[in-house]
Amino acid sequence: MNRTKAHLDLKGQPISLEGLDAEELQLVKDLAEHAEAHPDWNEFSNFWMARVGGFYAARGLSRQATQQTAAYRIGSDLASRLAIRAGLARPPDYRDELENLIHTRFRTRREFCEATGISEDMLSHVLAKRKHLAINTLVEALERIGYTLHIAPMAD
Amino acid sequence: MECSFFIPIRRDANLSDGDLHSAEVWEWLDDELYAHFEGRTIAPGLYEGFYQDPGTKQRVSDQSRQYIVAVKTSALDQLRSLLAQACVRFHQKCIYLSVADQVEFIEADDHEPNESPS
Repeated sequence: MNRTKAHLDLKGQPISLEGLDAEELQLVKDLAEHAEAHPDWNEFSNFWMARVGGFYAARGLSRQATQQTAAYRIGSDLASRLAIRAGLARPPDYRDELENLIHTRFRTRREFCEATGISEDMLSHVLAKRKHLAINTLVEALERIGYTLHIAPMAD
Repeated sequence: MECSFFIPIRRDANLSDGDLHSAEVWEWLDDELYAHFEGRTIAPGLYEGFYQDPGTKQRVSDQSRQYIVAVKTSALDQLRSLLAQACVRFHQKCIYLSVADQVEFIEADDHEPNESPS
């Protein structure tokens, strides 16, 4: 959490705390304190989802709406940080984001390759972390499907 | 109906690279379970296990998280479908699912996006 009323997630993206009411701010504070006091990944994973889900269910929010809240996203991010700290997960890099993009926007890798101009062989090496894409190649490929790169601050 | 399933903390070393999963993939699973099944419980600790890889015939050891989910009978296929997607996202050949103590192995519908490194 920083003083500009935003929580920076693992990808360096800010999750704004502006507009949260006092109870929501307390909820976010409780999550952060619980993560600090109980750093076990599984225990915190159970805690944050039940706490945030219960909080917004009591306010009549749907699960979809709850998933958009800052508290939900911060709970999820804090759990990820505990997993990484415990050596049980790794921080995401651009190759994970590429893979996620393929899963969510394309039916197959081949379809993604046809749309971006990246060869299937190269993509296979990149996703297996044996090679990197040159930055201009990545930028041009992403532009073809309506995406771009951002430089973001590193997570703590 | 009480369902439980195991997700190894590493990608399958034969199918993929044996690396730890990205934190983002675990977040994806949480999001899906919350959206479709109102949540889940994760059992304490990690479960040590081993099995014979049907492809290589080698003994494979792994450590997994156990997820427990309450699912209506009518939504069981939705859970199976989610775990088929999880096979791809987590780079697994199959996922062990127990439905009211009956064991199933869920495989990916389409392994193409998860193909072995060349």
